[in-house]
Amino acid sequence: MIFVRSLHPVSGEDVAEKMKLEQVRQILNAEVITGENLLSREATMGCGADLMSDVLAYGKPGSLLLTGLTNQQVVRTAEMADLVAICFVRGKRPDAETVKMAKSHGLPLLWTKVPMFESCGRLYKHGLVGVSEYGE
Amino acid sequence: MKLAEIVEKLDLAVRTAGGRLGREVTAGYASDLMSDVIAHAKPGTLWVTLQIHQNIVAVASMNELAGIVLVNGREPEAETIEKAEAEGLPIMVTPLPTFEVVGRLYSLGIPGIA
Amino acid sequence: MPFTKVQELVYEMKVNEVMTRSVITVDARTPMSQLREVFRDKKISGTPVVQDGKLVGIISLEDFIKWLYGREQNSVIETKMTKEVETLYDDEPLVHAVSKFDRLGFGRFAVIERQTGRLVGVITKGDIIAGVLKKLEIDYHEEEIHRYRASHIFEDIVADRTTLVFEYDVIGQDFDRGGESSSRLKRTLKRLGLDPVTVRRVAIATYEAEMNLIVFTEGGKIVARVEPGRVTMEVDDSGPGIADVEKALQPGYSTAPQWVRDLGFGAGMGLNNIQKCADHMDIVSAPGKGTHLKISILTGDEREAGRDS
Repeated sequence: MIFVRSLHPVSGEDVAEKMKLEQVRQILNAEVITGENLLSREATMGCGADLMSDVLAYGKPGSLLLTGLTNQQVVRTAEMADLVAICFVRGKRPDAETVKMAKSHGLPLLWTKVPMFESCGRLYKHGLVGVSEYGE
Repeated sequence: MKLAEIVEKLDLAVRTAGGRLGREVTAGYASDLMSDVIAHAKPGTLWVTLQIHQNIVAVASMNELAGIVLVNGREPEAETIEKAEAEGLPIMVTPLPTFEVVGRLYSLGIPGIA
Repeated sequence: MPFTKVQELVYEMKVNEVMTRSVITVDARTPMSQLREVFRDKKISGTPVVQDGKLVGIISLEDFIKWLYGREQNSVIETKMTKEVETLYDDEPLVHAVSKFDRLGFGRFAVIERQTGRLVGVITKGDIIAGVLKKLEIDYHEEEIHRYRASHIFEDIVADRTTLVFEYDVIGQDFDRGGESSSRLKRTLKRLGLDPVTVRRVAIATYEAEMNLIVFTEGGKIVARVEPGRVTMEVDDSGPGIADVEKALQPGYSTAPQWVRDLGFGAGMGLNNIQKCADHMDIVSAPGKGTHLKISILTGDEREAGRDS
């Protein structure tokens, strides 16, 4: 079966390309916890998971991680796997220690009330790819 | 949308309760945390996760979910299959990751839980 | 070339950046009879001789013993010292020092200020390695540096044969600090100039291994050896050990308690992830005794070479 990707709502073109964090922020009505000045960075792909081993196994460098977990290991995982940013979904906010760690690594943290399913869905629809469509 | 249609459109492999695909899917939920699903998933929800432990069957049945999609090529454990068959709970598998399965479900018009 | 950064620094850095500045010296006009106290008190076997702050020679324990046996009259050091001394200028690049160590086989050189001829320090092989690593902001074990007193440092660095060893202690059950060791190792490898793909694979494998130590054991040790072409991690703990290693290697198999799963770990993918990152993985475990995990990861060049052949 061939899956036809949805078209970009503005350009009308199939946009399997990188997405700026600023665009992620807008699409998910997200708040920036840290890294306000780093929103021009681009996510190479999206990854939605609450298990960090999954992120470590499948995330590529530059991935945007969407997760409902908010502990320090999420930031560690992003650091180890060279992720571009973390967006906490389902309205959960990380504690001060976690934010501090992200700040020290220059890792942007976003926060949205939108649940995981809706977050992944919206970003995918706007052209952010997943790992199977990720071009090396 | 009927579960059977989703199975066909997303090319999912059905592992349990193949006779129960006539169910209507009302929404989607993605989480790997049991406590989250217990708290938020509603009847008729299709649950996307990479958890394969038998606990997923109990959580899904308790909440009357429409079915479970296991991602990243993960296969249900033997006990999970046994319990799901007994409960008549469809479990499907896909090699795709959560982000893409959800993206495609969403593009098909399956909404998230508000 | 895994250590491009080390090699670069050997060319960039100057002798005076790494040398030891506090030098024990004796004045040229000191009587030979006083040398006994100097050698004994300072526990040294040789010392530079200065006159008006300038290096004029070197006097060794051997020279002193020769004088003793000669039963000569007490004379000043100046008349018994070796006058041709091999030295380095303080503003020379480190690579000159490195090459001189290999050529002459000496353990140390006196360092002279070029303009004034004054003795300003002493440099050893250990000083060079310590100085370079310090510049890279890498914590390093003192014992490892001592190794370089005996080895051919120049050949090692130029032929890219240097092996660096890093050790990390991991405390069990301390979930919040999980990943600190992996984080430090990752930073170190970046500073050494290893390729990003290798650095990432090492980081992920080490992180999973570290989390295993934290979740399942009372703690343990990670030893990372960085050598040309590969990085090897050995992860050891003293229990509880894995009952069925084969089963533990199955994706999704886990004995982790629920609290660990709720924190995003223990989903039975850790060892698989390590295997995925590694070019070679060995695991030996016995219940009640502990687990030994060895992970080898080839660097970019080596991996490419392996693919071609």
